[in-house]
Amino acid sequence: MADLKTQTPTETLDVLGRVCPYPLVLTKKQLEKMTEGAILKILCDAPASAEDSIPRFAEKKGYGIEVVKLEDKGYWEIFIEKK
Amino acid sequence: MAIKKLGFVIRTLPYKIEGSRLAMTHAISSQTVEIYLEDGDNVEPVVCFIGDGVLNCLKNQQAMKHYGLTSLGQHVKNSLLLDLNVLICKEDIDRLGIKEDALIMDAEDIGGETKAKIVPYSEIQKAMESVDHLLFC
Repeated sequence: MADLKTQTPTETLDVLGRVCPYPLVLTKKQLEKMTEGAILKILCDAPASAEDSIPRFAEKKGYGIEVVKLEDKGYWEIFIEKK
Repeated sequence: MAIKKLGFVIRTLPYKIEGSRLAMTHAISSQTVEIYLEDGDNVEPVVCFIGDGVLNCLKNQQAMKHYGLTSLGQHVKNSLLLDLNVLICKEDIDRLGIKEDALIMDAEDIGGETKAKIVPYSEIQKAMESVDHLLFC
């Protein structure tokens, strides 16, 4: 199976400028609306959310996740596959 | 599996003390704790505005201009954005002569889908009786 980041996301959620807990809660809300197999791409510049809470949430739910840090842009792209 | 219900009862004026800001911050933050809990466990907050606390829900708060602080109105909107159950006491807004259109009732401008509810005090009392933990601010 291809990497999540190489696939076309079903939805994109932009939480740039938002700090914890908003990125995680908005991610949860968006995923609730999506169907199984859909891929959500999240743009996030909050380190605690991108590196801790969102991955922890995805792993707990059993979702696939890939986190890509874009050093030059100063934010993360997070890909979650709802399972 | 257990859902713990939390009640945040805000009865203090905005900006006088930090009570209402802390209550809303904690209610909003409670939406993330499930990642640290066992499977199936979660918390469910309700935010109730009573007494002078209903003034926290007024639109067009000029907090930055007058106090150099971020607006508590934005906290109310963020609570609605995150689908929290927000209850505002009808008797208290009537007592203060506040009309519904002067209150923040939704967060549609930031993508929120949930609306605040103006309810009689009896409903707020029921909500308070139904929670596992109650915090007065």
